[in-house]
Amino acid sequence: MKHAAKIGALFAAMTVGFAGAAVADESANVIRNGTIGYVLTDYHWALYQTKDGKAECPQGFNDGPREQFKILFPADDGKKRTLLETQLARESQIWHPDLKPEIFTFKEAQGKTGLGMNLDGKVGPNDFTSPDGSEKGIDNQLYRVIGCVANYRGPDGTLYHFNNKFMQQHEYARVLIELTGVDSLVNDNDVTLTTYRGRDGLLTDATGNSFMPGGTQRADHKWGKEFISRFKGKIVDGVLTVQAAEYHQPTTWAFEDVTDQWFKDPRFQLKINQDRAEGMLAGYVDIENFYLQMARAVSTHHQSYGQQSSPSIYRALHKLADAYPDKDGHNTAISFAADVKFVQTFIEHPAVETAAKEADTRPARH
Amino acid sequence: MRLFTKASGNLKQALCASTVGLATAFALASCSGPGAETRIAAPAAKAGKVTAEPEGEASPRRLRLMTQEQYLNTLAYVFGPDIKPETHFAPVQRTDGLLANGTAKAGVTDSQLELYQKTAALVAGMVVKPERRDFLIMCKPADEKAADKACAGKFLSDIGRLLYRQPMKPAKVAELVEQASASADKLKDFYAGLAVAIEAMLVSPNVLYIAETSEPDPKRPGHQRLDAYSLASRLSFFLWNAAPDDAMLKAAETGEILTDKGKAKIVNMMLASPRLETGMRAFFDDMFAFDDFNNLAKDPMVYPSFTGVTTGDAREQTLRTVIDQLITKNRDYRDLYTSRETFMSPSLAALYRLPSTRTWTPYEFPADSPRAGLLTQISFLAVHSHPGRSSPTLRGKALREVLLCQPVPRPPANVDFSIVNNPNSSYKTQRDRVVAHRSNPVCAGCHKITDPMGLALENFDGAGRYRDNEKGNPIDASGSLDGKDFKDAVGLGQALHDHPALTSCLVKRVYAYGTGGPAKSDETLKWVNTRFAEQGYRLPDLLRTITLSQAFADVSDDAPAQAPVKSASADAPAANTSK
Repeated sequence: MKHAAKIGALFAAMTVGFAGAAVADESANVIRNGTIGYVLTDYHWALYQTKDGKAECPQGFNDGPREQFKILFPADDGKKRTLLETQLARESQIWHPDLKPEIFTFKEAQGKTGLGMNLDGKVGPNDFTSPDGSEKGIDNQLYRVIGCVANYRGPDGTLYHFNNKFMQQHEYARVLIELTGVDSLVNDNDVTLTTYRGRDGLLTDATGNSFMPGGTQRADHKWGKEFISRFKGKIVDGVLTVQAAEYHQPTTWAFEDVTDQWFKDPRFQLKINQDRAEGMLAGYVDIENFYLQMARAVSTHHQSYGQQSSPSIYRALHKLADAYPDKDGHNTAISFAADVKFVQTFIEHPAVETAAKEADTRPARH
Repeated sequence: MRLFTKASGNLKQALCASTVGLATAFALASCSGPGAETRIAAPAAKAGKVTAEPEGEASPRRLRLMTQEQYLNTLAYVFGPDIKPETHFAPVQRTDGLLANGTAKAGVTDSQLELYQKTAALVAGMVVKPERRDFLIMCKPADEKAADKACAGKFLSDIGRLLYRQPMKPAKVAELVEQASASADKLKDFYAGLAVAIEAMLVSPNVLYIAETSEPDPKRPGHQRLDAYSLASRLSFFLWNAAPDDAMLKAAETGEILTDKGKAKIVNMMLASPRLETGMRAFFDDMFAFDDFNNLAKDPMVYPSFTGVTTGDAREQTLRTVIDQLITKNRDYRDLYTSRETFMSPSLAALYRLPSTRTWTPYEFPADSPRAGLLTQISFLAVHSHPGRSSPTLRGKALREVLLCQPVPRPPANVDFSIVNNPNSSYKTQRDRVVAHRSNPVCAGCHKITDPMGLALENFDGAGRYRDNEKGNPIDASGSLDGKDFKDAVGLGQALHDHPALTSCLVKRVYAYGTGGPAKSDETLKWVNTRFAEQGYRLPDLLRTITLSQAFADVSDDAPAQAPVKSASADAPAANTSK
């Protein structure tokens, strides 16, 4: 039976390097030839939130389309206005935002406490310090933009909830990370992390509400080449730290609309074991890309009940962008951090497509 | 209550009883008729000396209720595999280790009858649907809006022969045609009328019950044998889990099936058919008591990876393994308990911590894996555990009762389970708990029979996942089986492989499954077991030995035999360790 023999060989190869004990511990099977895979199960922008929000948002949360509309076009001022002048003009700004001054005061997240990583190695005046004070110089200016927008705040914000839910539901948005060159999940001074887009659903538990390690994902080497990036780094005391030059993350919204994110200078910092990898993704996100994906994802009605004004956010993104200046000196990207959770998965690379993957892998950054 | 109102025609003739006593089982006592002449000699062995079959074993004529699977398999043969009604027949009582034995004790209640009727109506409607009628009904009515007796008669007698498992008597065909015609005229639809007659056939007790009839054996005055049609049915339901096909009925019509050569030809044809797989899946599903899967539930908080899909796949994994090993590869039955070869599905792969392919795939556990044989498959481990914890006792009991045919006595009514049931007890492992439980002399007797081998499976939790510790405490998986010690589950599999009761239990179960009940005496079983050993414990050879034996076709007027009960004992003889 040729097919059986082939599969047998595949499975046999899986156990190489784990024959130390007389009887193999099946949980050790998850590392094959120095390789272990994980699949993303949770993704949220990293926002430092106090219980009532008063510390980081002392002026309260930002207004959304409804509130701004009432201010711009009061119903009781006696003026007659057309639909074109009011509702349509305002909605068109979502798709055609500008940087002209507006009458609203945008409420940026305040304070010195924040979540994320020190991306530039410096401690600047706008940087944050981690809540426990252990890390200074945290670069997360996106937090200043969206930290006081109700839609983004967890656990009740619509975007907070649905961004994650749709990532879990939509196979397009399946994010895989594969660690190779792993000698130990505790300490290893040279490992490589490669991202892929997966093609399969997440493995759920018996309740259907949680995600389990042990599933299998097919890496997309054909249509998902854009999402293959290579990170280099190390594992110290069970914490993986890796960095790359660029990373595109497949992302979707309600009807599996594609809202991919483009990240520059990204890095993962994850506490890892054979079942899970949890921690943070940080770097810089292209502000035009961020805005476009946000606008594409969230309709006016979602923005309205989440008090999220896209035109105001667009101005704030440009104001607070802190990296990758263009030829005119305007920054084009903004620092960010995201809380991420992965569970272990076996990653299957279609044999005929694997050969092509090296050529299309984005370069690692050392 | 009037049962089977649409089909009461030749019931008396077919069952050789005045009425069908649907509430209780009985063996037909005096159904004799003219018959052919032959007797079946013992089959020749492939090698080595051929022992002679003992005389005297004969099963009672039985009346068995067709199982749901048999009913559906028969429909699939007669009408095609897409005639697959969603139905759930009532379960029968497990008797002497098999559900199949329970079919000879099964009755039909009002509500069951209603279910049969609904199923029959559903099937009849499917058969005459416009998209099927042209190829299922091989004649066309002169007018679709009126009766056509010629076409109805042709169709009903053709399918009736397959459903009733013998040629239709002209009077019965006429009765059904009359029914179809009256309905067609009334409904102004030939096919609707035909559906009424089909429905009547499908709820007929002559269809739903497999009634065995006999005839004098011409070569042995005073002895009775199954008549040709009953023999065809017994063979077919045994090996294919379905009614006889056209070729078998032809062999019955000509009497060929009653000759040594003809019967061997039929048996060999059946053993070579892909339908043997269906038959043997049904047998092992029954023997392994896999109907327990229908009620299997695990606490999702304790075993989050064990889902509803896992349940179905665990059952399927074992059945695929059995069929692959015993039929496809014709391996030694005992190797089922040591072989590392199996099949893997995506759902199971997650529990075994393996990468999966998109569908079922052959898989072999590596040589250093803690898993080898059926005992270490999730089916055995999960079914014989509690919803939230493993159970050395349940696993040991199942090993004794299911695989060694050694019934374990029930616990006394006043047994104190507090030691094993208290989740907050001070005992670190299941071993500690059962050892403490065994300190009670009332419990010790039985637990000595079950626990030493059940503890060898403690490296697998209640969902069948591997573990090397229980709440941080290392697991000692050593154990013993009837004098043979081992250090883990792989050793237990080898001890079971070498246990003499393993093969004799299979012989006992296969024989009972094929003939509808336990053998009267051990002599025939011993003879079959000897032949089984001589032939290297190959299942197809065992099936051939049993089906071609004289005992298989001989019937008696005796009351049904009770299975001899030999309880498991801590003093049981030591396992055969010669291999």
